[in-house]
Amino acid sequence: MFEFLVRRAAISIVTLIVISVIVFTGVRMIPGDPARVMAGTDADAAGLEEIRAKYGLNDPIPVQYLRWAGLALQGDLGRSIRTRDPVMTTVARKLPITVELACLSVLIALALAIPAGVLAAVRRNTAWDLLASGASLCGVSVPNFWLGIMLILFFSVRLGWLPASGFVSFWESPSGNLRRMIMPAFVLGTALAAVLMRQTRNSMIGVLGADYIRTAYSKGLAGRAVIFRHAIRNSLIPVVTILGLQAGALMSGAVVTEQIFVVPGFGRLIVEAVFTRDYPVVQGVVLITASSYVLINLLVDVSYSLLDPRIRFGGGS
Amino acid sequence: MSPTSGRTSPTFGSTHATVGVLPARAAAEPAGRLRRGWRRVLRRPASVVGGVIVLVFVVLAIGAPWIARTDPVKADWSQIRKAPSGAHPFGTDDLGRDNFARVVWGSRISMQAGVFSILLAITVGVPLGLVAGYYRGALDQVIMRLTDAWLAFPFLILAIGLVTIMGPSLTNATIAIGLGATPTYIRLTRGLVLSTAAEDYVQGARALGAGDVRLMGRHILPNIFSSLLVQATVSIPIAIIAEAVLSFLGLGVQPPTPSWGTMLNAAQQFLESAPWMAWWPGLAIFSLTLSFNLAGDGLRDLLDPKDY
Repeated sequence: MFEFLVRRAAISIVTLIVISVIVFTGVRMIPGDPARVMAGTDADAAGLEEIRAKYGLNDPIPVQYLRWAGLALQGDLGRSIRTRDPVMTTVARKLPITVELACLSVLIALALAIPAGVLAAVRRNTAWDLLASGASLCGVSVPNFWLGIMLILFFSVRLGWLPASGFVSFWESPSGNLRRMIMPAFVLGTALAAVLMRQTRNSMIGVLGADYIRTAYSKGLAGRAVIFRHAIRNSLIPVVTILGLQAGALMSGAVVTEQIFVVPGFGRLIVEAVFTRDYPVVQGVVLITASSYVLINLLVDVSYSLLDPRIRFGGGS
Repeated sequence: MSPTSGRTSPTFGSTHATVGVLPARAAAEPAGRLRRGWRRVLRRPASVVGGVIVLVFVVLAIGAPWIARTDPVKADWSQIRKAPSGAHPFGTDDLGRDNFARVVWGSRISMQAGVFSILLAITVGVPLGLVAGYYRGALDQVIMRLTDAWLAFPFLILAIGLVTIMGPSLTNATIAIGLGATPTYIRLTRGLVLSTAAEDYVQGARALGAGDVRLMGRHILPNIFSSLLVQATVSIPIAIIAEAVLSFLGLGVQPPTPSWGTMLNAAQQFLESAPWMAWWPGLAIFSLTLSFNLAGDGLRDLLDPKDY
């Protein structure tokens, strides 16, 4: 177990180093003078020289990388060209909004996927199974930005039940926050629900055929007790892994969803930074996102081993 | 682009693409194999319908100039935001352009982006995966660590980053989507090569003196082709949605070129007065990706070696 954790952590560190090199190189591949890129188009010669001195742009590239990586490790990702705020401060302001959106969408996805997946597996090859599988296929195929637009059209424009866009902090108005977040969370959650439902169904079918389930039945336990007490718990282990792997997809989905519903989160920050050519923000956000993805997957691997102590990692992961 | 095929999973890593490798003996009876495969596909009518709808979209994309006779780009100020009618079955947009013509021409853009981006991913990813899996060792480690790092970038964010560097256009969006899908093909090919290289027929060819290039090109690659094809059917719908998303965000196809993503972007501002502007391009994306996913399921059945 300890050996696995050390090996897994070492691979994550190597991956993080490679990610930082890719991000660093990416910004330097943008055509033109990096100082001009970082300072913005309105900077004068003195401003450019200041940027060059500050970021050591006259130094050799490896030296520049090590300095940049060192600052990034200390949480200094530079300043936004647009607002002049430190990138980390901007991210810290926007991230909780996206985290709230992601958490709500995961809750919605789990609430839809687990009952549907379990039902499809228990009533395998029936109309319920067909319905759940069809819904999952539609969930995977529907473009989330179109689904978002259709929900706005129906619930906001036609029925007038929910606000079409905007954001209110939860602490300011819990009900206002939920009324504005429910549609984006649903849009983001459907794709995830489709994936999780398929995984739950497959995993549950595997578990229902296991010896210990037959034993539970033969002991005289009622069907519901077997399913709820034995089968569901074990079938959820692979679902946790898929949930971790979907973190990246959730982040990608948040970019579009926040754009449609005008939620001022992390995803919208990326799009705004791209359009205003705010490269330090683009660079910082991409680095933070990729690093978070690596760390989430590390945590998923660790939680996997904690959830199921039978798992042996000697064969490599 | 995802798990699954997920728009989902807009990661291109797919749980579907675990189809193994064709055993050598399977090559001996291709006709019987195909017959059995077709029987399996025909047992799934949804897959047949999916395949037919994909073909309809291919015909629309190729025959756009003949099917949609109205100019999809030309504005008509007397026809602004007209509801669907006999003259304009899908209505008109905010510049009076015929939505039907724009949806039909948009299929060309979507197909082009979907197919070419995945071809790019295959062209880059398969040779890298082949080399990594065949030679193993330090080269394998370097390629796979780079692949891991590449996979850590959420697909859309990677595509946005690349388009930022290269500038927004259809070509650059296609390249960005293709590069985003590449790691999946590296991983898949490497895994397939590892299992295929251990097969007796590969070892036999090696014993007979076949060189590395011949082994990879004549013995390994043809035997992993079906799995790569299945993965492509999973990846193309994801790439189609990705192109629409990039165009929707203004990072792909630029107006006035008709694209389903840019049409939805324009439609967003007129949801109250002209909701039909949002219906058709969205339905087109949904039906095309759904059809690809259904047809992909059928293709998986057709090529699934577990039944041989």
